[in-house]
Amino acid sequence: MQLGAQGDITSLIATLLWLLFFAIFFFYPSFSQRIQLSHMLRDLERKLGRLKQIRDDVRSRTLQVLGGYSERKDLDKELDRLVNSFMIPPESMDPYGVVYKLEHIAVTWEDSFEDMVRELCPKADRERAKTLTNLVEVTRGVDLIYRIVRHFYLMGKKTNNIYLVLQLQMLMPQIMEIAEAYRQASYAFSEGQPIGDGVGVLAVAKLVKDAEKKTYEIAKDTVVHELVFEGRRLLAVRAAGPGGAVGRPGEGVKRLVEAENGRVGAIITVDAGLKLEGEETGKIVEGIGVAIGGIGIDKYKIEEIAKENRIPLYAFVIYESIAEAITPMKESIAKAADKVLEKIKAIIREKVKEGETVIVAGIGNTVGIGMT
Amino acid sequence: MFQSRQGLGKVPRPLTFLLCLNCKTENSRPFKDGDYVFKEVEEKCPKCGEQRMVITGIYVREERQQAR
Ligand SMILES: [Zn+2]
Repeated sequence: MQLGAQGDITSLIATLLWLLFFAIFFFYPSFSQRIQLSHMLRDLERKLGRLKQIRDDVRSRTLQVLGGYSERKDLDKELDRLVNSFMIPPESMDPYGVVYKLEHIAVTWEDSFEDMVRELCPKADRERAKTLTNLVEVTRGVDLIYRIVRHFYLMGKKTNNIYLVLQLQMLMPQIMEIAEAYRQASYAFSEGQPIGDGVGVLAVAKLVKDAEKKTYEIAKDTVVHELVFEGRRLLAVRAAGPGGAVGRPGEGVKRLVEAENGRVGAIITVDAGLKLEGEETGKIVEGIGVAIGGIGIDKYKIEEIAKENRIPLYAFVIYESIAEAITPMKESIAKAADKVLEKIKAIIREKVKEGETVIVAGIGNTVGIGMT
Repeated sequence: MFQSRQGLGKVPRPLTFLLCLNCKTENSRPFKDGDYVFKEVEEKCPKCGEQRMVITGIYVREERQQAR
């Protein structure tokens, strides 16, 4: 009898509990979602903490390096000023002429950014100041990533919006990878080590090495080597090193074509390009068009001048990941520079007749790559 | 808020590859601040003792990947 009564109580409790759960899910259908949300928010908080750690690490390294070239007491505050500065893109409601407006704004911004770094670090020479500017840009980039992620994390938390949090969580693996790449980039720019993005410049530097040539500046931070290659006139464009700079290859090529009155047999661009996951780093691919990344001004200018003068455009791209592009150059990328060199020579022999002029532009950041 | 105890990983250090202008031997050493590709440096060649070498490359050595 007694045993049976106990069994009744147990089954009653079980039934009640089951009813309670049922009631929770019945009256509160998003209960499971709430549990999921708090789980995701915890995960995001951990990653955000790591992002902050990376940001602080990069910032303190930058401050330390800048401090070596400066006697300013308020370096800390001045760095914040640079890190928080921004560029407002032009209005594109009426797209006519928007590229030139964008160029005007971008150039003004880049110049004033560099001037501010020079002013902060009077002890840095010309080349070093350019690399330091890149370093501050890295700090700015990683700071921006941190602030944007924090914004969406806090928004999601405040509004309990699972879809907002879900989107952020989906992007987090890539964001963390990029942040880590920025951290490694800060080491590279602190000491002026070549980065993966410099492979295009490296290839062109090797192409003109040991040749008899005339070298001059054609645009800001952009130089041209004039030489003769197997009976063809070769104009090689690159950013001036070894300080960190990408130069203005678009403007450089445009001025060269104008100086030649449009009589150019081909324009060949060499740049690092984003590989797909699973592809080999340092693989060289070729195609037609202008291989230049960035906001598009240089690409546009070359395309426009080439179209006007009916100049064929050839491109070589060396595959690397976004992280490899801004971290110290890997062996496979350095070796690819030697291989792409032979391909450039081959395409000149094939597509450009003797006596004609050809422009070869090596695109990328020239940090750690000297002049040849 | 936003605390993390995990340390940040080590960053790969590149090597500087130098070519002796006299005996054309190539050797490498860890990267030093001030190095850049194509720079002529006054360092002693470990083979012939010549004082002039040129930097031919700066990159991070990769371990040879096994065939997948
Ligand atoms: Zn030697």
